Amino acid sequence: MTEQRIGEVIEASSTQWTTGAYELLNAPPFGSLIKAGCHDNDLCIYGLVYDIRTGSRDLGGKAMVRGGRRYDGSEFYDGQIYSEHPDLAAVLQTEWSALVIGYERAGRIIHYLPPQPPTVHYSVHLCDDDTVERFTQHCDFFRMVLHANLPIADELLGTAIRHAAALQANRREYELYAGRELARLLRDDYDRLRVLVRMLTS
Amino acid sequence: MPLDFNQVGQQIKQMGGDLRQTANHHDQLVAHAWAKLEEQSPRWEHWARHAEENYLRSPWLLAAPAEPIINRYQLPKFPPNYCLAAVDGSQIDLDRHWAVECYLINLGLVTIQYGQQPYSKLHSVPALHYNDQELLLRDKDGRSYKMAGALVHAERDTREGIALARLAQEILEQSTTPLVAMQDGTLIRWSLSGLDPWVRAHFLQRYLDEGLAALRAADVPTCSYISHPKAPEVTGIARLIVNPTLNNTNKAEGLVDPYPGINDTKLFGNGWLGDGERSALFKSLSKINVEEYRDHAIYFFYLNVGSELARIEMPEWVAQRPEWVDLIHAVAYDQAHRGGGYPVALARAHEQAVVRESDRRVFRQMIEQALWHARLNNGSSLKQDAKAQVRV
Repeated sequence: MTEQRIGEVIEASSTQWTTGAYELLNAPPFGSLIKAGCHDNDLCIYGLVYDIRTGSRDLGGKAMVRGGRRYDGSEFYDGQIYSEHPDLAAVLQTEWSALVIGYERAGRIIHYLPPQPPTVHYSVHLCDDDTVERFTQHCDFFRMVLHANLPIADELLGTAIRHAAALQANRREYELYAGRELARLLRDDYDRLRVLVRMLTS
Repeated sequence: MPLDFNQVGQQIKQMGGDLRQTANHHDQLVAHAWAKLEEQSPRWEHWARHAEENYLRSPWLLAAPAEPIINRYQLPKFPPNYCLAAVDGSQIDLDRHWAVECYLINLGLVTIQYGQQPYSKLHSVPALHYNDQELLLRDKDGRSYKMAGALVHAERDTREGIALARLAQEILEQSTTPLVAMQDGTLIRWSLSGLDPWVRAHFLQRYLDEGLAALRAADVPTCSYISHPKAPEVTGIARLIVNPTLNNTNKAEGLVDPYPGINDTKLFGNGWLGDGERSALFKSLSKINVEEYRDHAIYFFYLNVGSELARIEMPEWVAQRPEWVDLIHAVAYDQAHRGGGYPVALARAHEQAVVRESDRRVFRQMIEQALWHARLNNGSSLKQDAKAQVRV
């Protein structure tokens, strides 16, 4: 399966990066696994998508209300606004953040922070099912998400585990494996654990 | 020391009162001017001829009506599909304090297609000039003119016109949707008026031949949009009607202006044009337009776009085709509405072209780095460096 090129890195650090979408409003779903390139050609950095947003490309620019009644009496809303203002595709930009959860070097996946962040302007690909299955076989990346100090860390991890479980040959077994790992990591925080387990079982 | 708002507040209050009085006086003058224009409107051909014969003698700018002066037209039927090509430009002028003499012209080019196949393309084209041939204009007698200030501005204006023609030609190769080419500001190159005749011709001939003539050859309705216009040319007709012989009535002060402080925006701003309506067409009788624009002479009408009065200019070969004048009328109004009062395509072209202060700083740093890499002396002036930072 060919992995789809969906955007490029526009801001990067060791722990997270921002992707600018090639196509307006075309962002991968929250919690998807994506990977970004690096000028160190051997290196490819993996991350989980969160905080998808669309706004003005121009710093300080702000979208304005455009729908409603036109001077000829016709009304237009929602998708019609984009048809009526084709220039919006060129002045708005869809972006999202990705939390770094590991990297790949020489075909080996490692669930630690990479030696280098993704390189700004390098391509970002949406991982295909084979890659997601391969990356999520082991649960070592859970720790990085839970400790990321993100307000939506639990939501992000729960969604990523559900995506991963759906691809496994034995879904039930994977959920049990993930549940045990979560119980170990959150043994001192019963409330968080309960919310996460409920996400996996609902 | 901060501004003393107690004192300024008093002065602003005084100004507000004075302006109200002036506005009341202006309303009376506008009413008087309209009465004259309405009365003489059927004789528009006489006044067109009279204005063309006297534009050089007149102390006021004049226009020649191309139809009855008080004609007005409702908004024509809106074209369901149209494409708009728009260009705007900006420049980084030559700065003698810099380490190297150069200037940059940045053009913003915009194509927006509306209707069944909506589409947009926005991009900018920067061009850096640093060769001796580019920095000095030489006439046939060997006189040289440095490309700086007004000349860089003139070059930018010229390039905008040429770029618009090329953009329109590219669009026509790919699309059959009705196309309108629009520029920001006036098509009359007033800024060239004060230049040396050879320099003026150098810029104007390129603008006319490679810009307007190319647009004409490509059969493209071409116009420009002026927001908040200050021109006094239609009011000039009223002035001429009041004083047709242009004889001195007061030797000490010269010809007395019957409508002091009145321009066309004030004249048409009295509610004469309803929302979406345009005025009659007029030919501008500015000297450069009459004497040097030949068959591209600029005509104009005023358009009430709802939020303000705009002046729409077009060359003679556009003004002579009523279906094109209608198309431009509808497109200018539609664009202003889509853009919240100002044509969206022109706003986008400006956004593409504008060179911000931060861009200027980066541009200068890049030049200094390039000189350093080329092992050239980075001899920027100490005065410039001193201005760049406050030493305390």
